[in-house]
Amino acid sequence: MVALGRTATFQAPLRFASFVHQFEQIVLRAIPIVALISLVVGAIITQQTILQLRQFGVTIFVVDLAAILMFREIGVLLAAIMVAGRSGSAITAEIGAMRIREEFDALQVMGVDPHQALMLPRVAALVVGMPLLAFVGSMSGLAGAAVVAKFYGDIPFDIFTDRLRGAMTVTSVVVGLIKAPFMGFLVGLLASIEGMKVAGSSESLGQRTTSSVVKSIFVVIVADGLFAIFFAAIGL
Amino acid sequence: MNALSPQTGPAISVDGLVVKIGTRTIINGLSFDLQRQEILGLIGPSGSGKSVTMRALVGLIPHDGGAVTVMGRDYAQLNRRQRVETQRNWGVLFQQGALFSSLTVKENIEFQMREHLHLSSKLRSDIAMIKLDLVGLPAAAANSYPAELSGGMIKRAALARALALDPQILFLDEPTAGLDPIGAGKFDELIVTLRDTLGLTVLMVTHDLDSLAMACDRIVALANGKLLKAGTLSEMLESDQPWLQEYFHGPRARNIGS
Ligand SMILES: Nc1ncnc2c1ncn2[C@@H]1O[C@H](COP(=O)(O)OP(=O)(O)OP(=O)(O)O)[C@@H](O)[C@H]1O
Ligand SMILES: [Mg+2]
Repeated sequence: MVALGRTATFQAPLRFASFVHQFEQIVLRAIPIVALISLVVGAIITQQTILQLRQFGVTIFVVDLAAILMFREIGVLLAAIMVAGRSGSAITAEIGAMRIREEFDALQVMGVDPHQALMLPRVAALVVGMPLLAFVGSMSGLAGAAVVAKFYGDIPFDIFTDRLRGAMTVTSVVVGLIKAPFMGFLVGLLASIEGMKVAGSSESLGQRTTSSVVKSIFVVIVADGLFAIFFAAIGL
Repeated sequence: MNALSPQTGPAISVDGLVVKIGTRTIINGLSFDLQRQEILGLIGPSGSGKSVTMRALVGLIPHDGGAVTVMGRDYAQLNRRQRVETQRNWGVLFQQGALFSSLTVKENIEFQMREHLHLSSKLRSDIAMIKLDLVGLPAAAANSYPAELSGGMIKRAALARALALDPQILFLDEPTAGLDPIGAGKFDELIVTLRDTLGLTVLMVTHDLDSLAMACDRIVALANGKLLKAGTLSEMLESDQPWLQEYFHGPRARNIGS
C-alpha cells in the first residue's frame, strides 16, 4: 500500500521495463485461453437460451440477452477468473520462489523496496490489462453466441448484427469495462500478498499458490456481486 | 568515496543487541565489535542465532533493543534516506547466493548501479566485467543465467554483485558451505585478497574450521543468542569453555592452528 502510494505520488519509479514484461506474461499470453473459454461459454448459454425462447416463438431475443450478458457479466467475470487461476498462481509462485531463494532479502539489502519492485509492476499490468481481456472475452462470447444463433437458432449473421446494434447499449459495455480494472487490482494484490507470505519451504509455496487462486476467484465473484448491487442501486 | 565518518573506531559496534521473532527472544543482549579491515568469523551451534544476527545487522529484521553503530553512526537513529545510504556501504552474500534468477550474471551485477547511480550503460557494463574478473569468473559467464551456473560459480557471481558499489563492509553467510574443499579454499583466499587489496571489512558466518583458520583474524562465538567468547583463533583454542573445546578439539577439528 505504501509502495503504491509512493509510486502514485512519483516518489518512486514504476519500473517500466518490468511492467512491459509482466504485461506480456500476465495479460497478452492470457488472451487465447480467455477467448476460447468465453467462446465456448457464450455458445453454451446461447444454445440453452434459444431452447427456452423457442417455446415462446421469440428466439430473436437471444441477441439482446447475449449482448447484455456478455458485456456486462460473462466477459469480465470469465476473464477475471481465468486470470486469477492462470496469472494469479504464476504471480504467487514467482514471488514465493524469490522469497525462498532470498532474492527478496537481497533486494531489500540493496536498498530496493521489494513490494515496490515486485508487486507494483504486476498489479499495474493487471489493472491496465484486465479491461483488454474483458473486452476480448466479451467479443469472443458474442462470436460464440452468433455462431450458435445461426446454426441452432436459424438467425443469420446479418440479422444478428442488426438486432445487436439496437440491443447493445453503451451502458452495458461501460459497466463491464469499469469493473475490469478493479478485478485486475484485486487479483494482482491478493496474488502478490500470498507470494510474500511464503516462508521457508516449498511446501509453503504450494499452499500459498492454492490459497492465492481460491481467494482470488472468491473475491472476484464477490466483487462482481457487489458491483451488481451497486449498479442496480444507481440505476445503470 | 566514503560518505560516512569518522575514519576511526570499529566499523560496526554491536552493543546489547536484542532481536525477537514473534514472542521468542532469539538474540538476547549480544555485544561485539567488528574492527575495520578485519575478517571476523561468527560461529556457534545450529540455531544459536548467527543468521538472525547477520540479518538484523543488515536491516532485514528489526532490533528490539540495544544499539548498532555503523561507521560511528547509530543505525536506529537514521532516517529512511540515510539508511539507504548506509546500506550502500555494505555488500551481502546470502547463503544460496540469492542472485535474481530472471537476470543474467552481468545484469545482476549491474542491478544496483542501475538502481542507485546514473551511469552510462557502457560504463556500467565495464564495471560489471571488472567485478566479474575480480572474483575470478570467466567473461563468458557474464551472459549466463544463475540456473546455468555451478554452486561455486553462483557464490562468486553473488560476491561480484555484493561488490558492485565498492562496499566497505562485506557480510557473508556460510560462504563456503556446499563448496568442495578446493573451491572453499580458493574462496577463502579470494576473500583475504579482496580484504588486502580493497581494504574491506568482513563479517563471515561459518561452520568451516578451515575458513576460520585460514581467513579469519578474529572469531566471535555465539550460544543461545548471547556472546560466548570473542578472540583470536589461538585464544579460542586455549579456552576451556566446553562447547569451544569440543568445537576446536573434536574429531573433525584435526590440527587447525597447530
Ligand atoms: N523467520 C523465523 N521465524 C521464526 N523463527 C526463526 C526465524 N528465523 C530464525 N528463527 C529461529 O531463530 C533461531 C536462530 O536461528 P538462526 O537461523 O540464526 O540459527 P543459525 O545460528 O544461523 O543456525 P545454522 O547454523 O543452522 O544456520 C532458531 O531457533 C530459529 O528457529
Ligand atoms: Mg544460519
